[in-house]
Amino acid sequence: MEIRTTPDTLASSGMPRGLLSILASLKFTLVILFALAGGVLAAFRGDADPLWALALPLGLFAVNLGTAVVLHPAFRRQPPLLLFHLALIALVLLLAVGRLTYLKGHLELTEGEAFSGELAGWQAGPWHPWRLDRVKFINEGFRIDYAPGVKRGPTSNVIAWQDADGIWRRGVIGDDQPLLLGGYRFYTSFNKGFAPTFAWRRIGRMGDPVIGSVHLPSYPMHEYSQARAWRLPEGGPALWTQLKFGEVILDPDQASTFRLPEKHSVSIRVGEGASEILREMRPGEVLRLPEGELSYLGLRAWMGYTVFHDPTLPWMLAAVLFAVACLAWHLYSKYFARPWNREA
Amino acid sequence: MEQELALLWTALASYVLAGTLAIVGIVLGRRPERWVLTLLCLGLALQSLSLGLRWVRLEHGPFVTMFEILASNVWSLTLIYTLAYWRQPAVRPAAAVVMPILFLMMGWMITTSPEAGHLPPTYHTIWLWFHVAFGKVFLGSVLVAVGLAGVILLRNLPRAATRFANLPASARLEDLAWRFMALGLIFETLMLTVGALWAQDAWGRYWDWDPLETWAFLTWLALAFGLHARMAWNLSERISAMLVLGVFVLAFLTFFGVPFVSTAPHQGAI
Ligand code: HEM
Repeated sequence: MEIRTTPDTLASSGMPRGLLSILASLKFTLVILFALAGGVLAAFRGDADPLWALALPLGLFAVNLGTAVVLHPAFRRQPPLLLFHLALIALVLLLAVGRLTYLKGHLELTEGEAFSGELAGWQAGPWHPWRLDRVKFINEGFRIDYAPGVKRGPTSNVIAWQDADGIWRRGVIGDDQPLLLGGYRFYTSFNKGFAPTFAWRRIGRMGDPVIGSVHLPSYPMHEYSQARAWRLPEGGPALWTQLKFGEVILDPDQASTFRLPEKHSVSIRVGEGASEILREMRPGEVLRLPEGELSYLGLRAWMGYTVFHDPTLPWMLAAVLFAVACLAWHLYSKYFARPWNREA
Repeated sequence: MEQELALLWTALASYVLAGTLAIVGIVLGRRPERWVLTLLCLGLALQSLSLGLRWVRLEHGPFVTMFEILASNVWSLTLIYTLAYWRQPAVRPAAAVVMPILFLMMGWMITTSPEAGHLPPTYHTIWLWFHVAFGKVFLGSVLVAVGLAGVILLRNLPRAATRFANLPASARLEDLAWRFMALGLIFETLMLTVGALWAQDAWGRYWDWDPLETWAFLTWLALAFGLHARMAWNLSERISAMLVLGVFVLAFLTFFGVPFVSTAPHQGAI
């Protein structure tokens, strides 16, 4: 290698020596950038816990930058360069705050169903404020057109929601048009499907029956496994339900629209072995079980949603745009002041 | 479609002629620069027409299939290099490095299918335009830098040295190369930012370390590494040129290698 060793830029420009100068040195920056690249790769390949593989180098990054910003004379001479690096520190700090407070989750709602605040699955930072119970919206149905070859077009999902003043509003959201509510962003996902809906009345129970839907596996992704095992509420028995229909919903040879089948039935299996009950049901039919009465009300569609919350998003964007502007300013003043084909 | 392809083939022929002329000129010590520039401009005009016709026919830009991505990058890289060629005579001999890279992409492009793809639902956004445009300027800047770095490296070969003798000293070319790299850094940062903005709404998260995001970020780190390495050490021109080459290889693999091996995550889903 032909690296000509020269005194460290830091040491030669009036920097203090010792630990601080190492912490603030540009060579340390290079080590950190290398470590960060290693951490990114390890996290990407699943060899390391992404949190630590990234958090550790990023922590060092902030320390290195922080000390350099204070001690390195280059930053005093070049304010835009200083501002650029300060924006980088801000970005790392915002990233940390974002990781501590974020929420990423998913949920499913049957047509006509209101969001109850419950998620089907989620990941969240330890400081996430959990304000989902204040969010109120209803899935009022969706439309998705498909191009030939079962290529999905945009999703249009009609949503009714309650705004901050308690007023109900209606609008359309889609794949990349979220519902912004209470600091959360709700997106429709590519998961959606059929939901047989039932009413269940337990023997001896007064009042209205319990109404609920079973979300069958996502359609058309799981076209050939439209069945699911589930359990009736209030300690009712376990069931297995399969949707049956003969018609083609999404035709690979022509443009089509996601819709419910015109004619269908559901197979219901309760119990096993000698006590097994197997029934084919159409909308309006009732199945009497030892524990109560199960009515099949009909088929609806369900939509899958993802929800995302990260309060740092606008700040991160501001920090990045500020950083880019400072970087452009620095490079402009540095390079335009000196022609490239002459010695400095 | 036949008309589009005919125009494309003529454009490619024009590029290849320009590139060959430039390279032969360097080997023979001649400077047919006007001809090279004219042929490059002619090729660009024809390819613009070809891309435009396809755009009108399919009602979407060249963003979807590998054919479209390669074609639009051949166009944008040639455009950026032609501008640099015209404005900066110093980068002209870099054609010996730049043109073979473009030939490689053209060769690859003609092996891919020109059939239409399906525009994913999340592509109907203004972010797509900015993301693609910033990416093209980024890659174009790094391509010009790699041309200059290539000249520095070629100069070290015993027979090639005389071919580049009338160019500025390697130290100056290295300086110019890193100016293009710095420009590349600005545009790559913008490309990543707009990509994250788009991803937030297209996929419900601004960043998720999918293969393309991961490699694009590694390229960004490599660029930052290169800029700081030049300041931390007094690098020789050769090592500095190799750093430029390294960043370019990473960027090239990110743009064309990753989508080639993994189409799943950074695309629309079912
Ligand atoms: C890890 C912490 C970092 C430290 C301590 C650091 C430190 C420095 C210092 C001291 C300089 C000025 C050197 C001089 O003029 O003598 C500098 C320049 C610069 N840094 Fe950083 N930096 C860090 C991270 C980054 C990162 C992540 C980037 C991202 C791209 C970056 C981009 C730049 C640029 C573009 C310049 C100016 C280059 C030029 O003028 O040609 N830095 N950095």
